[in-house]
Amino acid sequence: MLAQQEVLRSNKMGNIIKLTPSGKPDTSVARAEETRLLVDVRDNASTESFDKFFGIFTPKLVAWVTSRGCAMGEAESVVQDVMVSAWSRAKSFDSSKASARTWIYTLARNRMIDLYRSGTRRAAAHEEVGTLAETMEPMQDEPQKDLARNQVIDAVETLPAEQRDVIFKVYFEGRSHREIAEELDLPLGTVKSRARLGFQKLRKSFKDSI
Amino acid sequence: MNIQHHPSDAWLLDFACGNLPPLFDQIIKAHVDVCPVCKEVVKDAERLGGELLNAFGQSHSIPVEMCHEKYGDISHTSYDASRAESTGHVADLEKLVSTYLDSSFNALPWKSFGEGLKLCRLIKEDNVQMWMLRGQPGVTLPVHSHKGSELTLVMKGAYFCGSQIFQAGDIEEADETVEHQPVITSGGECICLAVTEGQLEFKKVLPRIVQKFVGI
Repeated sequence: MLAQQEVLRSNKMGNIIKLTPSGKPDTSVARAEETRLLVDVRDNASTESFDKFFGIFTPKLVAWVTSRGCAMGEAESVVQDVMVSAWSRAKSFDSSKASARTWIYTLARNRMIDLYRSGTRRAAAHEEVGTLAETMEPMQDEPQKDLARNQVIDAVETLPAEQRDVIFKVYFEGRSHREIAEELDLPLGTVKSRARLGFQKLRKSFKDSI
Repeated sequence: MNIQHHPSDAWLLDFACGNLPPLFDQIIKAHVDVCPVCKEVVKDAERLGGELLNAFGQSHSIPVEMCHEKYGDISHTSYDASRAESTGHVADLEKLVSTYLDSSFNALPWKSFGEGLKLCRLIKEDNVQMWMLRGQPGVTLPVHSHKGSELTLVMKGAYFCGSQIFQAGDIEEADETVEHQPVITSGGECICLAVTEGQLEFKKVLPRIVQKFVGI
């Protein structure tokens, strides 16, 4: 079962990275708690809530930014910028429009776009970097019944391997569909089709369940 | 605006993930700004990003004190992090041009590309270029294919491509497998913004000669 396995991938520098299910049950309670913390930051400038929010998301963001081609030192700097931005822009968080995890994802994504435009991201690709696997914490030994509650992991698990591969490359490696077609030596239409089918299935699953 | 042609999900996913070269990113953004259908797709793609971020990947944390040093006041200014939230209006041509291209539309360096057809290359970054096309009613563009991806956003008027019609707000997607010959409709002037990877490949000699001067 995918939830018990590490997904091995290589990033843009060819380093092997592990995408590990976070090991914590992903329930609506967890999602609601993240949002509660961010709302407390927004409404009350609570540093206590922000520190908890920080603790939840920085390990995930460091992993995500690194998998997209940033060297570890740079990834930490990027995540620090994202978190400072989360603090200073907390007033713009609207829980009716997005969950806290979607909001922090969009902040991180926007920071990566800035890097892309400034050329920093491309320059980083030439740096010698360590593997993400070296710094990842081992998956916690949670009972399988808890892990199975992670609806997203379950939904990803049900995708055909070729669709899952494209979705991971798009989201975690930051590769465009054209880059994926070139890397896998596939017709562009095939990659577009896999991206569409994979995305539509995941989209439907979380619309139904989240 | 009655938008009928949208970028495929692969383009919108790349847009939502920040994976596109800047000029392709720009033209997708111009379309998403005015397209409620694609706005929803992008919002869902961002939502999926948040869920995947949460579900996969763990690394070390960084000391929270690093951020404490930078804490300032929480800003009261509005900031929409979502790429689906924007204020552009493609229906207002001058505004789109000034918003995205930072230039006055009529002051652009148009070059003739045959009778009733003008082209203008705006920006070139690496192997990707953004250009505009301004065609008079009834004008037929030369048959051409492509050396990479091409996205065309109709800003004003309409054109036919085969049996399909592309109107203001629509995006036409093409690549090296597509050979086409747009024909401006008789309804009025048609203005398009296009982003092309590599040079266009014209089938006939005359357009190829003119191409050298226009630079597309």
